[in-house]
Amino acid sequence: MTTEPDPDVAREAIEYCYEQGWTDGLPVVPASQALLDQFLAHTSRDPDEVLWRMDHLGRECTVQTAAINAAMAGCLPEYFPVVLAAWDAVMRDRAAKGGGWQSTSGPAPLIVINGPIRGELQINCTGGIFAGGFRPNATIPRALGLMLRNAFGVVPHVFDQTTQGIPGRWAICFGENEEESPWEPLATEMGLPLGANAVSTTLTRTYEFVDNRHTQDPEQLLNDFADTISRTGVMIFRAQSAGIVFCPEHAQMLAAAGYSKADVKDWLIEHCGRVEADLRRTGKDAMSEGGFGARSASEEERVPGDVFTPFLPSRASVPILVAGARNAAISMVFRVFGEWSNSSVEIERATVAVAEGG
Amino acid sequence: MICSDAFKATADAMADVQGAPGYAYLTTPHPVAGLTPEQVRERAESVVDQVARLLSE
Repeated sequence: MTTEPDPDVAREAIEYCYEQGWTDGLPVVPASQALLDQFLAHTSRDPDEVLWRMDHLGRECTVQTAAINAAMAGCLPEYFPVVLAAWDAVMRDRAAKGGGWQSTSGPAPLIVINGPIRGELQINCTGGIFAGGFRPNATIPRALGLMLRNAFGVVPHVFDQTTQGIPGRWAICFGENEEESPWEPLATEMGLPLGANAVSTTLTRTYEFVDNRHTQDPEQLLNDFADTISRTGVMIFRAQSAGIVFCPEHAQMLAAAGYSKADVKDWLIEHCGRVEADLRRTGKDAMSEGGFGARSASEEERVPGDVFTPFLPSRASVPILVAGARNAAISMVFRVFGEWSNSSVEIERATVAVAEGG
Repeated sequence: MICSDAFKATADAMADVQGAPGYAYLTTPHPVAGLTPEQVRERAESVVDQVARLLSE
């Protein structure tokens, strides 16, 4: 076949999708039954299997609906098992199960991929992990966003109550840079066999860079991270969860100084926090009893102003991974919305050879 | 049901998906989160008559 695709026909189909309300604002790929079949051939899961049901909305998403939305998002069929694993992984978070998708926070799924599938699918793990330019990195998270919109009907201004949201809400997906990380892969740390193809996902609220090419002292470097992690704006409750996507250079520097991932977590747990006077100055010094300890402004000084309150309660609240290029010492702090499940989901791929295209 | 007026669109949509379009509920001015206990009490007092009316209709 040498016939070139007709752009006018393509545009007509794209506009049709807009008219149905199926898009997130950008054009989607019109999905045919033939394309859908290719997606479904990449998983052994039943097309009618319900991935998730939101009882309060009376809506559910099946494997087949997920496939349609993955196709519309621009995924290749072979990405589909990653989409399914990413969905399963994020739905392990208490916040995602508890209405987080409709939160005024407008949290974004952070999708991290481990294993040889990163190379097979050409998932970017190095330069520009947050910057776009790679098909799987761009389309896999977008598939989740379209599932939310089209399967569950969570659309902005109605069931999606996002106040402002975060930039790139449906575009945060990358592979861990296992090759240049001095530490074990995230999925291995979470208990899966070394070399497993796996996805780890959590809901996140912000991403803040730490640019430190200034010191060779690991404690000075960690203090720079602690300063970013310890800002008061994120403190809604008694505690918070913040992770770091270390660039290879920072990770290697810490590892060379003898820090394991657990050591880094322990250091941050000890040093991230603020003194009472800072919390009082920002109206966040009081806490409700029970639950998550919602913060508020107290009427009277509760404790002396120099009393230090640590913000990170446990290693589980400090996820650490390594990604990005080794060309500069620039890392990223991210805020977990609620608490990450601290688990990774193995990617299930159909073993049957797939006949692609036609 | 009472919600702050910033959530009206969501409340109406919830009524629709629950099969009760036009479900009657009350609103109170937004925001609520930062109010003092006294202000919350004032809010409650300002709608108490409407709550009674809604429940008895």
